[in-house]
Amino acid sequence: MNKRRIYWISQLGGWSFYGILQIFLYATAQQLDITHILGEVLQVGFYILSTHVLRNLVIKRGWLSYSWLKLIPRLLMSILVLSLLNYSFLLSYSFVMDELTGRDFLTFTVVLNVFGSMIIYFLWTLFYFTFHYFENYNKSLKYEAAANEIELRNLRSQLNPHFIFNALNSIRALVDEDPVKSKKAITQLSNILRNSLTVDRQRLVTFQEELETVKDYLALETIRYEERLKTKFDIDSKSVDFLIPPLMLQTLVENGIKHGIATLKKGGTITVTTVTREKELCIQVRNAGQLVQGKTNSEEGFGLSNTRKRLELIYGDQASFRIVNENKNTVLTEILLPRSL
Amino acid sequence: MRTLIVDDERLARKELMSLLEPHKKIEIIGEATDVDDAFEKINDLQPDLIFLDIQMPGKSGFDLLEMLDSVPKVIFTTAYDEFALKAFEVNALDYLLKPIQAERLEEAIGKLHEAEIISEEKSRKTLNKDDQVFVKDGDKCWFVKLADVRLFESDGNYIKVYFGGNRPMIHKSLNALDERLDERTFFRASRKHIINLGWVENIDTWFNGGLLVQLKGGEKIEVSRRQAARFKEKMSL
Repeated sequence: MNKRRIYWISQLGGWSFYGILQIFLYATAQQLDITHILGEVLQVGFYILSTHVLRNLVIKRGWLSYSWLKLIPRLLMSILVLSLLNYSFLLSYSFVMDELTGRDFLTFTVVLNVFGSMIIYFLWTLFYFTFHYFENYNKSLKYEAAANEIELRNLRSQLNPHFIFNALNSIRALVDEDPVKSKKAITQLSNILRNSLTVDRQRLVTFQEELETVKDYLALETIRYEERLKTKFDIDSKSVDFLIPPLMLQTLVENGIKHGIATLKKGGTITVTTVTREKELCIQVRNAGQLVQGKTNSEEGFGLSNTRKRLELIYGDQASFRIVNENKNTVLTEILLPRSL
Repeated sequence: MRTLIVDDERLARKELMSLLEPHKKIEIIGEATDVDDAFEKINDLQPDLIFLDIQMPGKSGFDLLEMLDSVPKVIFTTAYDEFALKAFEVNALDYLLKPIQAERLEEAIGKLHEAEIISEEKSRKTLNKDDQVFVKDGDKCWFVKLADVRLFESDGNYIKVYFGGNRPMIHKSLNALDERLDERTFFRASRKHIINLGWVENIDTWFNGGLLVQLKGGEKIEVSRRQAARFKEKMSL
């Protein structure tokens, strides 16, 4: 439903309701006559017209974006003017109907009438501004959610092309040397590729699924690095059905190889460990190497900063991430994830 | 062509060697698994050509080139580093993407054959005008033939290399370079300058019996009195 329609429905519906209520209340007090009913109808018409004018004024002058301090005096002023006009209109009607009396000009009557319609106008503006306030609020919430979604999608780790082509190159050499192993490697590579293609549609995957990918990944890197890369897994059996963001562990492992193992002539070991606590999963990746201080931001690059941002977007402050030198030749990367969002 | 393969992965070296097998002109004289190993082997074996991986443990292929005084022909092999190779201003190099296509390899080797003719009896010590140096300045890289360099100017621990419209710096000492440069082409004009005699445009007398040499690039270099006599002798030959 568009906003224009909502406006007209509320405007006509609201004021008709007001008019009917007025006539009904009047009828309980005294005999209805045609002059009165016509008066009410005209009154309702005047309200519709005048509030419509007020609405146009609010929109044209951009009052919706004003602060309360700026807005309230302007609104009060407009309401007062409209109320005075309203009473004048009422008097003109009485004059035309030849019902005008001296009583209608008594200060008391004037003030009461003007004040009464001011309250009516005030209620109208209250509805009008409340509606807009909530609408804006919703809009900004929706916008924020959409922005988060887009950002998450961008942060989602993609498979490193360098890895794919190096893996293919190693496999090609392996075809002559060890056909069985090379067939297996092709299967592992296709698992990873399939995974990275479907991962786009999932927000979270089970730890088990992620672990399979990581194992395939490490198997392929072992073909490439040979004796320079050793892998160890120490997985808590209770961690398998935890949900984690896809390719997150993969990113950490890849990072450990790229900045750790690959820079060492002798290579080293990558260890993946998980520990489950009551409502928390702790994933640790240890790799040979050292973090160089001061180099952290630019050199460690997108992998880690993306991981940090992803965790924050998905879990808020319920997840944590750290990377430290555990000892002189091991880097520890650790994430803590809650069981549920 | 005597060829050295530099790659940290055994399977990658093996694959390249099997691809090179049909090319009888390529004689593989060794393999190196990292930059330090390669540096030693290049100085020992003096290959005409190296196949060079870019990402290696510790130091990169570019680091290797910067370490060398004179750079043999280079063909880069890399999985996905096109962006790194785009750094090259002068396209004096070729690169192959892994996994390497046999046709591309053949093409790259074909290009080498055309350029191969030059190498006379190659002396190990002197750098002659056909030798090339590798120069890296920030993000830009060049392979420069010594014949194209008109001036080396020392600047602290660095040497400014003047060629074309560029003057990048290399981290070397002018004295060490002077010892290795062919004196038929290069002349030590002063403590700070080595000039390429092929680029001299104009010579004027200067104070105290010195000379002022103007190069074709527009640079004016003073030749000290002590060197002036030698310079005249050289230029008159």
